[in-house]
Order: sequence, then C-alpha cells, then structure tokens
Amino acid sequence: MLDEYGNIIFHRLKWTYLLLIVAALMSPVFYVIYISFNEFGFGAGRYAFTLEWYGTIFSDNLLMGALRWTLLLAVITTLITVPMGLLAAKFYKNTRYKVATVAILLSPLFVPSDILGSALLVYFKNLNKAMESLSDMLGNEWFYGWFELGFMTAIIGLIIYTLPYIFIIILITMARYRDQQTEAARACGASGWRAFWDVEFPQIRPGVGAACAFAVILTFNEYTRTNLLKGGFDTFTTVLISQLLNEGMSEQSYAMSSMVSFVAIAVIGAIIFYTFIRAERLEREARAKAAPLMAE
Amino acid sequence: MASQGAHDTEETVEGEVTISTSPVRFPGAWLSGENGAKKWVFYLPVIFMILFFVVPLGLTYVWSVFERTAFWMKPGFTMFSYINFFTSARLDNFLYSMFHSAIAVAIAFVLGFPIAVFVRRRITEVAQHRVILLFILPFMVSEIIRIFALRPLLQRNGLVNSVLINLRLIDEPITVILYTPTGVVIGEVLSFLPFIVFAGFLAMEAVPKYIFEICQDLGAGFWRTFFDVILPLAAPGIFAGSVFIFVNGLGVALLPNILGGPGAVNAGLIATQAISALDYPLAMAVSAIMMSTLLLLLYIGHRLFDLTRILSPIS
Amino acid sequence: MSNPRVPAVKVAGLAKSYGAVEALKGIDLEVAAGEYFVLLGPSGGGKTTLLRLIGGFIRPTRGELFLHGRDVSALPPDRRPTSMVFQSYALFPHMSVAQNVGYGLRIKKLPKEEIRDKVDAMLDMVGLASLGARQPHELSGGQQQRVQLARSLVLERDILLLDEPLAALDAKLRKDMCIELKHLQEKIGITFVHVTHNQEEAMTVADRIAVIADGELIEAGTAKQIYENPERRFTADFIGENNIFESTVTAVSGTTVHVELGAREISVPRREIDVKKGARVWLSIRSELLDVRPDDEEPSVGWEMLDGTYLEKVYLGLVSSHMVSLKDGRVVNIRKVSGGDMEFKPGRPVCVGWRRDDARLYLL
Repeated sequence: MLDEYGNIIFHRLKWTYLLLIVAALMSPVFYVIYISFNEFGFGAGRYAFTLEWYGTIFSDNLLMGALRWTLLLAVITTLITVPMGLLAAKFYKNTRYKVATVAILLSPLFVPSDILGSALLVYFKNLNKAMESLSDMLGNEWFYGWFELGFMTAIIGLIIYTLPYIFIIILITMARYRDQQTEAARACGASGWRAFWDVEFPQIRPGVGAACAFAVILTFNEYTRTNLLKGGFDTFTTVLISQLLNEGMSEQSYAMSSMVSFVAIAVIGAIIFYTFIRAERLEREARAKAAPLMAE
Repeated sequence: MASQGAHDTEETVEGEVTISTSPVRFPGAWLSGENGAKKWVFYLPVIFMILFFVVPLGLTYVWSVFERTAFWMKPGFTMFSYINFFTSARLDNFLYSMFHSAIAVAIAFVLGFPIAVFVRRRITEVAQHRVILLFILPFMVSEIIRIFALRPLLQRNGLVNSVLINLRLIDEPITVILYTPTGVVIGEVLSFLPFIVFAGFLAMEAVPKYIFEICQDLGAGFWRTFFDVILPLAAPGIFAGSVFIFVNGLGVALLPNILGGPGAVNAGLIATQAISALDYPLAMAVSAIMMSTLLLLLYIGHRLFDLTRILSPIS
Repeated sequence: MSNPRVPAVKVAGLAKSYGAVEALKGIDLEVAAGEYFVLLGPSGGGKTTLLRLIGGFIRPTRGELFLHGRDVSALPPDRRPTSMVFQSYALFPHMSVAQNVGYGLRIKKLPKEEIRDKVDAMLDMVGLASLGARQPHELSGGQQQRVQLARSLVLERDILLLDEPLAALDAKLRKDMCIELKHLQEKIGITFVHVTHNQEEAMTVADRIAVIADGELIEAGTAKQIYENPERRFTADFIGENNIFESTVTAVSGTTVHVELGAREISVPRREIDVKKGARVWLSIRSELLDVRPDDEEPSVGWEMLDGTYLEKVYLGLVSSHMVSLKDGRVVNIRKVSGGDMEFKPGRPVCVGWRRDDARLYLL
C-alpha cells in the first residue's frame, strides 16, 4: 500500500533491488543448472544441450542407492519431526515456562552444523560404549549397537536440525486457530484426541503440509550433520560433496547438484503458484460474502 | 507482548472491541489430555531436545579436558587441548575468521535489512507472504551446493570474470574473489542473506505500521526515523539474526574449506579436522569455545535488548 | 431422569488460582434442576472461571463440584452431563451447519437416519429449518449462536452452559434472543447456567441471579430480590442505579439509625445491621425512589427531605436524570419518567426527598 506521498519510482526501484538480491542469491544455482545441461561441462567455450550427465546418475547404482537412503532419511525424519512439532507447539501454548521452552526448542538454530555434528558424534560414541559396558555387566548383548553411528544417529541429528523450523511453522499456523473450537468439540463429547483430529487438524492442515515439505527439503539438503553421524551408508548429498571435495566439480556433480536443487525449486514454485491460485479463490469468496446476508 | 505464561485474548466483534472473558490458558487447561497420565507425551519434544542437544553440547565442556589417546580419549583433566589451541597458529586464523564473520554480518545487514523494512512498510499483507517465499527459495537449496556453486561463478575462468572481460570492463581476471578471505566473506554473505531478511521481517513485526506515518507527520527525515525509532524497536530481531550469521560463519567448515585460500580455517573446520585426526578433545575444546562465544553473545544481547520480544508475533 | 430435588449444580468451597492470582476465592452455590441461573458480574470477576470449572475446561485448585449429586471434579468436559455455548468463533468452519449440529451425535455413534432426524428437529426448534447445508461463515451472528444452541441441545444433556452467548450481537438482536432463550429453556426444561455482564440480559432470562465479582459470590437471588433489596453494597452499586454515600452513624435507637448526610442528620431503618455510634456505613437509595421538589413545599409524612441546589437534567428517552447537589457538596441522582412537570432551572434551591423506608445501610 503506497501512501499518498510515496514516490512510485522509488517503489519500483526498491522492488527491483529486492528482485536483484534474490536473483544474486539464486544465480550460482541457476548457473550450475545451466552448466549441468552442457555436454562440454564447465569452462569449455562451447555449449550443447544434453541430458547425458543426468543419465550417468541414474545408471550409477551407488548413486541410486545413496538416493534411496536420502529419501528414506527424509521421509522418516518428517514422520517423526512433524508430530513432535505439533506436540511441542501444544506444549508451548499450555506451559507456564514459555521462555525456557522456546530457548530449548529453538537453540539448535544458533549452533553451527559442524559443532553440533561433532558434539553429537562424540556423544553417541560415548553413549554406545556406556551401553555396551552395561550389557557386559548384565552378561548379554541387549544394549549393543544402539547408538552406533548409523541410520538412527543420522535421524537423531536431522531431527535436532529440523525441529526448530517445524516448530516455528506450526506455531505460526496454530496462531490462527481458535482454542474455543477444541473446547466446543470436547463439550460435544469428543475426547482430546478426537477433538484434535476432527476439528483442529483439518484447520491446520495447510501449515502441517508446509511443515512436511520443509522437513523433506531440509533433510535432503543437509550435509554436515548427516555426514558426521551416518556411519557406513551414503546419502546422495554426502556422495556429491565427497566427490566435489575430492575430484572438484565434475560434469556429473553439476547434474547432481542441479537435481537436488530442482526439488527445492519445484516445491517452492508449487507453493507460490498454489498461493496465487488460493489468493484468487479467497478474493472471490470474500466478494461473495460481502453481498448482503440472509435476513434473520 | 509475550509475558511469562499468560496471554489475554481480545476479540474484535462487529466493530466493538470486547475483551474476551476466556481466561488465560495456563497449565491445567484440559485441551488435549484425558487425564494427567497422558500429558507426559507432550514433554517428548523437550525431553528429546534435552537428551540429544543440551546434554551433548554441555558435555563438550567435560570432554574438552579429557586426554587424547590414539583412537579415542581418556577421562581426565587436562587443559592440553586448550593450550594447544591457543598457542598454535590456529588461534590467529580463528580470530581472523571472527573478524571476517563480523564483516559478513555488517554487509549482510546493510544489504538485507532495508529489504525487510521496505517489505514491511510498503507491501500488502498478501504480497508479503510471497516475498517471504521468494527468500525461502535460496534458503531451500542446499547451503552446501550454494557454496560450491560459487566456484564456477567466481573462479579465474568463471562466469563473473568472463562477463567482465567480455564487457571489456577489465583486462585480467579478478582472482581476489575466490580462495581468499574475500571469497569466504562473499560466500557467507550470500549464504546467510536470506536469514537476515527473515530476521529483519520478524524484527520489523515489532514496529507498528503507523509509526512511519507518525514520523512523517512529525517531520522526521529518513535517517532519524531509522536510528531513533526503527533500530531500537527492531533491535532484538536484528541482533538475533546477526548472532545467527556470525556464529554460522564461524562454524560452517565448508565455507573456508571451499572458498578460502590455503590455511583458511574457522572453528568448524578446526573441529572437523580434529575429528578426522582422531583428536577428539581438541574438537570438543573448539566446540566448547564456540558455544561459550555464542552463549556470551546471546546473554549480552538479552541484557541489552530483551530477546524474548522477538517471539511476541507468534505467541 | 434425575431427582428434581437434587440440585443440578452444587459448588462447595470451589476455588481456582493461577500462581499468585486468585481467580476464584472459594464459592458456595447451588443451582436447582430446571432453573435458569445467571452468573452476573463485571469482566474478570470470576464468573467465566466458575462456568468453565463447571464445564470441566479447567480444574479447581480446591473445593468440590457436584452435578446432579455426582462428584465430577475428575471428569473432563466430554464426560460431564453439561454442554456449552460459547461467545463466538466456536462453530467448526470446515463443517456445514448440519454437520456441526450432528457432531456430538456422530461421536455417540448413532445411526445416520437418527442423526438426520434429530438434527432437523433441532434446527427447526431454533428457527433455522432450511439452513442445514450452509457453511458457518455464511450465517449472521445471531444465526451462528442458534446453531451453537442446536448443537448443544441436540445432545440432550442435563445442563446447558452459556458463556456470554449474546455479547457479540447488537442490542436489538440481543433483546430478541434473550426472550427466545427464555422460552427455549421453559420449553425444554433443562438447567441453564448463563454468564453475562449485561444486567438487562440477566434480568430478562434469569430465574435466579448470582452476582460474582473479584472471585467471590456477592449475592444470589431473584431479579426482583437483588434489584429491590440488595443485601450487599456491591450489589446495590452494580445493579440498577443507586445513590450510595459514605456516612457516619450519629445515633442508634431501636429500629432506627441516624446518619449524617447533606449537613444534616437523617434516619434510616436499621433492618438487621448492627452498628454503634461512630461507625462508618454506606447509605443507599434507588435513584427512581427519590423526588425533587421546590424548596418551599411541605415535606410529606414519613419522608426524609434534604436541601440542595438543582444542577442539571439529562434526557435519556424513557427517563430523565436529574442532578442535585446537597449542602455538603455531594451530588444526588434522581431518575424520573420523562414528561413529568418537573422543570427546574439550574441553580434553583430545591429539596430532595425519599420515603424513609426506601433507604438501606451497609457496613463499610
């Protein structure tokens, strides 16, 4: 909304600046995508469109295996983190100790990935050793290998990483929800769980959906913590990064990077598109509502 | 205003402002639990965080004074790792990296915060969400890839140089933008600019729209408005965003690894290198130092600005 | 069918604190079965807290709560014999009107046809017969409250709780719905417990009213009782328009107490108050029981008269409010039906008077 004294030229200028910044932020990625389709790779003077580099990805069993692991990580992390985020949001709304709760839930945002990864790695190794001694004391093997570096430790690291974001998204979604609705449902005879599922969840579904998408993308893109904590198996991103670190940027790595970025761009693009459509529909509904209501 | 444990609801109904009589939502409100026993499930997230986040990070202090062994560490008490760190060349590099991080924060702030102000002030609510999405986009692309992707851009024969040479703006390729501290700073700024914009958004929530009109009414010029009004109100959010970038600049190993020159390190890189070298106490010492820096910064910020204000839009 | 002599709601020493804040300080109350009971009081005074305690949405800090003789303090809202109508925003926006009303029945797993029949019958009873397929946002405020009523009543529970149900409606609609609520309750016969801060609303619908303020039960009684014979000063101050003055007892003799007012000594019937000379008391007289007369008129028998100066008149439609200042500077408010022959110029010396029996005393 431009106030009457606002200068339309300045407004346009500021918008341009904004878009320029976004473009600058995205340009490395777009450039990489551009190169990924080049038969001659980077640095060559020529350009020929090809999908051959993408082809090498799909024919590489190691890579496809890694991709499967990544997808599995993403799905499981989402399945765990989103419900946890819901629980955390409800807890936050009802607890008296709001500052402490938020501090605990949001601090992982402030701890850089390498530090968190290193600390967790040492933690898990110690925990594993401790549990093994416990098992030895009890004379069996029950507690062996619980926290050995592997899938589960990677998941734990990913949950710690994603939970703050999910928590914020769900809090913001729930801010629009009126608690009277849950109370009304309970007054109608619904149990706590039923009231949530029948009444609250349908209304926060979009936010939960966004949270899930966010979680998937975050997991897909995460590298440092996963790398430190994953133990033996490989994820798509870790293979990519180790290739990049060791061999520099090969043509295939351009294609791989592009693939990973596509996911994010596609999802966000879809959301932007969807919100455009929804905005149209809401405007139409609002205009219909503004028409005179039925008389009493 | 988020106050400890309470919030009143105001209902605006048909033009009247009615103070809702539903009382504060305190613990005990049976919104989701049949009886007390079921409530434990709500503690899960917090318990999980404590178990796998607070405890490990707290233990870094303990482990940092352990002795190093060939493949692991031995419980004990020695300041060896700290001394090792503070007397080695690593310390200088670490301090440099702090300096560079600080520069990156400043640049990111100058570039990004005006965007937040502009969006908050001049753009409709609906469009604001779209702008936020626009900035989520780079954030959603893997940060590693974004860092790596700077290479083909900033290299000797990269895009930037090719374009500049083709436009005849320069004769020789610029080499100072990659494999140098400058490259690291560029990488930091680009990686974390979305965060400062988000932090700016959140921070600007604390500045009500009518403030701008009031300032205009009173005849305050742009800079006065900015320094006297916007900055103080938005300070907590700005500070939090700055701490975030600063700490991540220090802690993301890949930044100096990929974009920095030989010997470029930050705390994160030292830690991961130490782990590869199986010098766990050193890695923990570095982590402990980082954590302490972070806590110190947050504490200072809280005393200066009361960081809990950041959350008022969401509570 | 529950025993009609067991009170529908019985509250004993019920209290609720939030940390250091005492929302409710220990209430004893009984609501008879089939009664329309109103909790009336200022905002934040505890009446909604009490209602929500009855409904099970919050747990008491101490005290007991019996619904139809059963101790329910451990039960959540879905297991109590109560249902609730909220102030606003309580209809489920993603369900149609019929689905909203039928929600509780679906939970009880009734067969579909039965649900449909009951929903239709109830919508008919609240006057929304053909609106079952609408969405809540398509309805007006009054219609939405009716849907809430339907949704609660269709469950056939013994007690209906209403949390400021009419606060979101405009004045005219409120009046109409008040009467409808009253008729509805008389027709169905269950107990209604209704919270409001609006006096007129309370007096229209209630069989009995409980005045609740500051976490305490001030007084309970029928509308007539608390209006004409309030037993506590707060009630006198809150209900109707009373002139309330602080005063000192100058003498006590038998059934009369003498207090000072308007630079004079006046007598007030003692009733049950126990005071000695020198005690501080409140004196209360209803504004409509006062009269303003020219100062040269003869005082009537059994009336107390005070001299004063006429200040101004405020025309309010049905009544007009006259202000008179007494010799000691205090201002008296007299309400009379407009159109009488009481026209005085501001500044004119007048007399204010009332029947001796119409004044009441309260301890300070």
